Amino acid sequence: MPRITVDGNPIEVAQGRTILQALDDAGVLMNGVDVPHYCWHPKLSIDGSCRLCQVEVEGVPKLQIACNTPVQDGMVVHTASPRVVAAREGVMELLLVNHPLDCPICDQAGECKLQDYAFEYGVSASRSREPRRALKKNVDLGPTIVFDQERCILCRRCVRFCREVPGTGELVVLGRGDDSVIETFPGVPLDNDYSMNVADICPVGALTTKDFRFKIRVWFLDDVPGICTGCSKGCNIHLGVANNRVYRYQPRRNDAVNDTWICDEGRMSYRRVGAPDRLRRALVRGELGVPEATDFGAAVAAAAERIAHLRDTKGAGVIAGIASPHATNEDLFVFRRFLDELGAGAFGVAVTTGRADGLLIQAEKAANAFGAHAFGFSDAAALCDRIRHGGVDGLIVLGHDALGADYLGGVEALAGLDTVIALDSHDSDLQRVAHVLFPTRVAAEKHGTLTNHAGRVQKVEPAVEPAYDARSEGEVLAALGAALGLAGFDGRFDASEVSKALSQSVPAFADASLDAVGPSGVPLAGGPRW
Amino acid sequence: MLTVPYTTQYLTEHFADGDYTTLAGYERKGGYRAARVALTQMSPADVIQLVKDSGLQGRGGAGFSTGMKWSFMPAGGDAPKYLVCNADESEPGSFKDRILLERGAHQMLEGILIAAWATGADKTFVYIRGEYAQPAVTLQRCIDEAYAAGYLGANVMRTGFRHDVVMQRGAGAYICGEETGLLESLEGKKGQPRKKPPFPAQYGAFGMPTTVNNVETFSHVPHIVANGAEWFRGFGTEKSPGTTIFGVSGHVARPGLYELPLGTRLDEIVFEHAGGVPGGRKVKGVIPGGMSMPILPAGQLDVPMANEHLRERKTMLGTGGVMVMDETTCMVRVACVITYFFRDESCGQCTQCREGTGWLNKITNRIERGAGSEEDLAILLDVAAKMEGQTICAFADAAAWPIQGLLRHFRGDFEEHVRQRKCPFSSSFEL
Repeated sequence: MPRITVDGNPIEVAQGRTILQALDDAGVLMNGVDVPHYCWHPKLSIDGSCRLCQVEVEGVPKLQIACNTPVQDGMVVHTASPRVVAAREGVMELLLVNHPLDCPICDQAGECKLQDYAFEYGVSASRSREPRRALKKNVDLGPTIVFDQERCILCRRCVRFCREVPGTGELVVLGRGDDSVIETFPGVPLDNDYSMNVADICPVGALTTKDFRFKIRVWFLDDVPGICTGCSKGCNIHLGVANNRVYRYQPRRNDAVNDTWICDEGRMSYRRVGAPDRLRRALVRGELGVPEATDFGAAVAAAAERIAHLRDTKGAGVIAGIASPHATNEDLFVFRRFLDELGAGAFGVAVTTGRADGLLIQAEKAANAFGAHAFGFSDAAALCDRIRHGGVDGLIVLGHDALGADYLGGVEALAGLDTVIALDSHDSDLQRVAHVLFPTRVAAEKHGTLTNHAGRVQKVEPAVEPAYDARSEGEVLAALGAALGLAGFDGRFDASEVSKALSQSVPAFADASLDAVGPSGVPLAGGPRW
Repeated sequence: MLTVPYTTQYLTEHFADGDYTTLAGYERKGGYRAARVALTQMSPADVIQLVKDSGLQGRGGAGFSTGMKWSFMPAGGDAPKYLVCNADESEPGSFKDRILLERGAHQMLEGILIAAWATGADKTFVYIRGEYAQPAVTLQRCIDEAYAAGYLGANVMRTGFRHDVVMQRGAGAYICGEETGLLESLEGKKGQPRKKPPFPAQYGAFGMPTTVNNVETFSHVPHIVANGAEWFRGFGTEKSPGTTIFGVSGHVARPGLYELPLGTRLDEIVFEHAGGVPGGRKVKGVIPGGMSMPILPAGQLDVPMANEHLRERKTMLGTGGVMVMDETTCMVRVACVITYFFRDESCGQCTQCREGTGWLNKITNRIERGAGSEEDLAILLDVAAKMEGQTICAFADAAAWPIQGLLRHFRGDFEEHVRQRKCPFSSSFEL
């Protein structure tokens, strides 16, 4: 492996990489070694046009752009020599010659690379007395993105993104010289499954999402690492949180999962967290069949009473469980133990499926179907068939995926059951039949791990705290198990402890306990899963 | 037949003969004999060595060793290799390739054929500027004649060597004369130079190994093969052998095309060949090699026209387009024209070029209007310095150098505009 020296520090690099790629591989780019850049992006082709990443390479007379200069063994690179600094200042000054400098009204302010680099590497005063380019403002590029041509610095990341990632190529540079502008073709809007990524990779305030713009200044947001739960890909995200509210999802780089991208549908799924149709209070169906809101303890008591009655009269074998593929590994582990201790007759998992695209979007529209399968929850189709034909008297159901066409085909299939205990996060027809309903938390409100479609265990942590009494499935089941007197259930649920127990008892999860999983997750080990 | 004043050497010797543009006429003057010698008696390596020994430098502006460039092409391999003939002559002040296309297309094609043999190229794309409508017609006729006579095609001169020549007309952009901008345009894309690496010899037209040479460069090749490297070195200077065609324009009595040995003194070209400035006026400045080369003032015209000498005066031979300006010329207006051109023609990829060319143009326009300041002169030089040598292609250099040259030698003109708050040249040309 070639070794290069950057600002006096030796770096081992892979053959065939460029200087900037090598710095990125080593994890030091803008993280110890500052080589500011606009057009270069780790997941797009090299453009070499912004010229900001120029560095000095010993033995080469001209400054070289770090993004496109292949490393050679023994290369000595200087990223902050006086020549480099002067060139950088020159580029920054020229980039600002035509920039409107409207930061106070620009939604990108605070996370703008032009702003950041101007502070960091630019000169403080403008020498330009000339009028700036007057171009189109507030251009509607498509259903998701608004474009400000004046702010654009023509790094062309967005153009390359559309060509290279979704392959749709809606964007193009028209014109020449300082008449160059990014445009769409007539009648062909920027509209693809990944369109909003262009706002993330736009280093300036030229491309912004219609959804997020003007909602909140970004410096009020905390970026909480998390996982998108829209499908089984498990795209790594940052949840932008302020005032106990999620304002946006942005992709978080994980080269083993989603690179730096996320699909628009997944990005917009942040709205599910604080959605108006979230279930807020436990419900217990009263004597007249009318659901009545109650507190958690009373709901647990009511549910335990119904389950105990069935167990005592007909045996636990008439009780079935349907797991939710949205729950965490920890929740599902507790559910599996609960069902085993209860002696439930059957269990499975219902997973809603849909379109996959071979890029990020997976057919399983849930974050943890893999985890459910790993804990022995097989597909619930056969079980649902049995339920439809009256083979089950009691059902403990997590989530409402089982109502789908592939499973129960509607809530009517549950109408004749003696007991339906439901744990769910959002409103659905389940409410109409559940005898006891527990509101549950979503991944953005939980400690725990999720296992993606490829068997990678990834961590979530609470980004927001629900304003109402929603609890994780594990916590509800822990309380229910204790109320039923099941062995090993003391009513407490601690995700870390459960995760530890899980990793000790399920060999495949040996290295995947909550405390052991880093920010980019770990692949499941081999060996038995349950 | 030639309607402009001219002097001739081996390149243009027969250009007055209208018959020379036909294959029969060209053959009567010994045409295609050099190609036959190369293909039947010389190995490709021999040809490359000969051209290296001749010291032929590219005539497109950069002056790189032609033999060296050919040697960069990978030998062998199954993938096709291409030559590209750059006939997108678009440097303001340069019009030599036009005559070589109109009057000597077969000479150029013979040079292409020899180069193809040397580099193992399967096909040559001649990229000709869109405005060269008549040369395109002539060239296509000559290509057709060469095919019909077996000089091109599947079995060149019955040697078994295959070579095809395809003409592609451009659509009018200066940057499509830059070799990789040309390749992009040739492929049907927007004409924007490519970042290097990879270089065209590895990844050129349609991703294949490619060598790009100028029309005139190819045109010298048959003469080198026919007469030898020593003969070629008999022209010009030791470091810059051969002749070139100087296209002289501007305030001279006889603007025209003068084929002269490299190293001919600039004042000889301006005063003896082109007849000096008419009307008894004095020369003010001369751009020696097309608009992108820095200007020389009247006192510095005693320079041999070869890069090793011109570099000492901080300018270069470029394309040999000599532009003469007399004492009535406002050099700020010249700056306005030059910066307007480069602003308009910048492809817009690189920051320094995209923003710098526009800024230079705005400042020079403001100075010409009388609204400039002393500080503007410093900014002009500073912006030019920031553009120079920092971009994907040499366009930004080409835009920066003339401004540096004008301020180096004619700073007084700029300062006078600032002081008088107007243009002091009442009779200067219209913008």
